[in-house]
Amino acid sequence: MPELERSLTRLGQELDWPPTPDLAPRVMAGLDERRPARRRAFPIARRSLTLAFVALLLLAGAAFAALPGVRDAVLDFFGLEGATVERRTTLPPAPPAGPLELGTATTLDDAAGELGFTPLVPADPGAPDAVYVRRGLPGGELSLAYHARSGLPRARGTRLGLLVTEFRGDINPTYVGKVAGQATTVERLRVDGEPAIWLAGAPHYFFYRSPGGRFVETRLRIAQNVLLLERGGLLIRLEGASGRERALGIARSLR
Amino acid sequence: MEDRPPHEAELVARAKRGEGGAYEEIVRRHQNIAFRTAWVITGSAADAEEAAQDAFVKAYRALGRFREGEPLRPWLLTIVANEARNRVRAAGRRERLVLRVAEERRPGGAVPSPEAALLDFERRDELLALVADLPENDRQAIACRYFLDLSEEETAAALGCPRGTVKSRLSRALGRLRERMEATDA
Repeated sequence: MPELERSLTRLGQELDWPPTPDLAPRVMAGLDERRPARRRAFPIARRSLTLAFVALLLLAGAAFAALPGVRDAVLDFFGLEGATVERRTTLPPAPPAGPLELGTATTLDDAAGELGFTPLVPADPGAPDAVYVRRGLPGGELSLAYHARSGLPRARGTRLGLLVTEFRGDINPTYVGKVAGQATTVERLRVDGEPAIWLAGAPHYFFYRSPGGRFVETRLRIAQNVLLLERGGLLIRLEGASGRERALGIARSLR
Repeated sequence: MEDRPPHEAELVARAKRGEGGAYEEIVRRHQNIAFRTAWVITGSAADAEEAAQDAFVKAYRALGRFREGEPLRPWLLTIVANEARNRVRAAGRRERLVLRVAEERRPGGAVPSPEAALLDFERRDELLALVADLPENDRQAIACRYFLDLSEEETAAALGCPRGTVKSRLSRALGRLRERMEATDA
């Protein structure tokens, strides 16, 4: 090693580094707070959950095989309770557009009785045009679909202007994965004091993950502009063609 | 037979199975480098502490996706550095990183290390001032690679850029330092 590099390394040993705090006790306390199974039981039939889980696992292998590019170098990693966002050097080829597979159509009242949480609905734009429940994960997942209209431009590849999905991020900490390329804007925000991530610009993808970290959908889905936010233990995803300020306005109106 | 400390791969496997003690040991082994890396990025000890703590919690949640057999430290540092950068972005500003030589390392202080004896103290302050004057990206590259003694791979993880970029930043930064040192000597 040349002299300058040696001098810099020695200098590093002589620096007045701030004292390192003992993080271990607080980290472990943080993990205990987030362990779900000890906190709450959910009104979901064990048999249907097991069947769903088995079906998802069968799909996982195909997903991996279809996505060779998804394991390229990670440039950035962002995390929320319930979702991770990775920015990578390259993205896999765009998947074909497919159905959204949001689960079973239902009503807001029925969904509220089925889910392991109280659904939140954005006061703006108000009542959704369709409601779906997906039962494949603890607590379930709610989707609120809004047709394109004035103030909600049509999102690429769908007839929808807005899709809001909600699930218990605190007990499904890495359920949603997002993969974005270098051209995608990924911005860390706070919405009403809680963490959020805004993704916009170039196409990016999302997929679901099993508790073991495996992909559990047959294909990645293209997403357009997305706001991911935490709200009291829920992970809420707002997808559409709306811009950042509009998405933030919708998020702040969640009740 | 003497007890040996558990190998990192063994700790990771145990932590993945939900053994809290194993993850606690992982945190203890890496908290120093995690905190210092976050400090280099944020320039603030309070932000670095928060970033490193949150990073370890997030790393635990993502542990299922960590590929066994790979080195853990670059993976952890990627998460730590991203947490640190997120705090800088959220604050909209970066604290100026203040690099100082520890008082006890100065002449007249406590017993100097053998390394300290090798580097003339005036020269150290001068070198430190030159590093502090480097552009942000170059200064961080120097701090990670040499002051923290990270490998190139770990430096790339901490800076969130490819190894090639690390090499070029280091080469440029070292070139600038040499030029300025020569100018000072002249």
